[in-house]
Amino acid sequence: MKSVREVKRKEYYIFSPFLRIFHWIMAAMIVVLFITGLLITKPMNVSTTEPFFTITSMDLVRDIHFTAAFILCASLILRIYGFIVNKGDRLFPRVWEGHFYEETVDVALHYMLLKPHHASFLRNPLARMSYAALYAFLAIEILTGFAMYFMTNPSGVGGKLFGWVNTVLGSEMMSHYVHHYVAWFIILFAIGHIYMVIRAEFMEGESEVSSMFSGKKILAHTPKDAKELE
Amino acid sequence: MEKRESLWEAYLRRGLSRRSFLKGCVTLTSLMGLSTDMFSKVVEAAETKPLPVVIWIHGHECTGCDESFIRSASPLASDLVLTNIALEYDHLLSAACGAPFEAHLDETITKYYGNYILCVEGAVATKESGVHCMSGGHTFLHLLDKAAKGAAAIIAYGSCSAYGGIQAAAPNPTGSAGIEHFVGGKPVVKVPGCPPIPEVMTGVVMHVALFGSVPPLDGDGRPKQFFGNRIHDTCYRRPFFDAGMFAETYDDAGSKAGWCLYKLGCRGPETYNSCGNLRWWQGMSYPIQSGAACIGCSNAHFWDEVPFSARLPQYGKIGDADKIGVALGVMTAAGVGAHAVASIIQRNSRDNLLEEEHDDK
Repeated sequence: MKSVREVKRKEYYIFSPFLRIFHWIMAAMIVVLFITGLLITKPMNVSTTEPFFTITSMDLVRDIHFTAAFILCASLILRIYGFIVNKGDRLFPRVWEGHFYEETVDVALHYMLLKPHHASFLRNPLARMSYAALYAFLAIEILTGFAMYFMTNPSGVGGKLFGWVNTVLGSEMMSHYVHHYVAWFIILFAIGHIYMVIRAEFMEGESEVSSMFSGKKILAHTPKDAKELE
Repeated sequence: MEKRESLWEAYLRRGLSRRSFLKGCVTLTSLMGLSTDMFSKVVEAAETKPLPVVIWIHGHECTGCDESFIRSASPLASDLVLTNIALEYDHLLSAACGAPFEAHLDETITKYYGNYILCVEGAVATKESGVHCMSGGHTFLHLLDKAAKGAAAIIAYGSCSAYGGIQAAAPNPTGSAGIEHFVGGKPVVKVPGCPPIPEVMTGVVMHVALFGSVPPLDGDGRPKQFFGNRIHDTCYRRPFFDAGMFAETYDDAGSKAGWCLYKLGCRGPETYNSCGNLRWWQGMSYPIQSGAACIGCSNAHFWDEVPFSARLPQYGKIGDADKIGVALGVMTAAGVGAHAVASIIQRNSRDNLLEEEHDDK
């Protein structure tokens, strides 16, 4: 392969700052929430003779967990605002459009190594499906999380808004279980997501990784969904 | 309807002083979780309201709630049964009476139709038309339906009548369920617990008896004054939780020093009850104080959320969700690694093919 080549490429601006900032806040907060969450389920033991404040105290770990959760929720609101004002941002895949399914199958066949390549997309339909799943996981985490958090005062506004989640799941302990299990699903998603992004960069070399910093995709092929930006 | 006496009249008939009557009212006020300025209203109600007729029936259960109930100290269960309420029918207390008492039940239901308080202990066995729980030749399902129709208020005592109880544990062979959906849509005051705290049991029935209305309830139908807080948030061991001082086993130094039992599976953080503030046996103790982790006996489905000794369910030899999660994470990482290698091989063969085509031209 030559070191210097002349290639004609087109630049597509798709990700607004709202989306990119949300993405990186979410990535950081998921790490923080996951680690502190595991520590809340199985806390470290502080061996002293009297209860006093230490850096590993359960109180601090829980406060970090709650703060991270509120930051994530706040940035999610910004993300939704970005979706409203910017055409490039998208919350969910357009599953109501028929070609979505053919394209998903096409991409899936390539990922199963049955086809040598797949069509070029600004928004890979299979990846978009996985993001929809992630948002579903986040929604479950937010609902069960607040259902546990606000129940220190079941009669309060928060308790009234989220208390029903415990009733729907059967008991508050079930909310703990669901919250904990879905957290693991998010980590499994993250492993797959990081791999697929780096893989796309290696296989197609079309700025998949840098797009989440710059907001731009720089493509040699004309993507099938290029019209959606016009 | 014959004239029924009020609490004050009952005190007079028994030759008790006004002073002891007022003392009794003070106890009742605090017991019902009311503020002290409600005291005059309690006295007024006790002077004028006729004693409420109570029908107390038992379904699919162990009658342990009654064992708890008879240990109520303020008011004494005996005072409550003999003086404060007109207990017309009770399966357990009158089991020896037989058929004549069953006739008395029908009489009571007709006579006080729409005016009596129905207390229910025990779950409803629903499978095979309810034959798993019968008394007096009828299923409990039938009895509950009959008694609920004319009830002014329905109180579900214990986790069985509130949520189904131990016999509703998987696989629930008798189809046991809480009474909520078998009382013809009437609201049910739930007083869960296995058993409930005695003073909570007497407190709730006295509230209904004196004010003629059910106490303020939360979304699940539980009286707020007794079930408005988690045990965790009222627990005297909470400082140990916040500081991160936990008993790891039941015989370690932390356990002996009275540290938090969270790591031993304590359900305090999910359980709504008065154990932390009211406690048991006149405030003497409660499970966590005695060194045992709470099992969440006043929660729905607590019987299926096993093991009680851990925060997460265990899956046989595999372990809990964290071990499975780590295993799945490693497997996913290995999977993407293998996929990466296969992808690179595929890309190289694709590129070689393209180059060959290019060369051919």
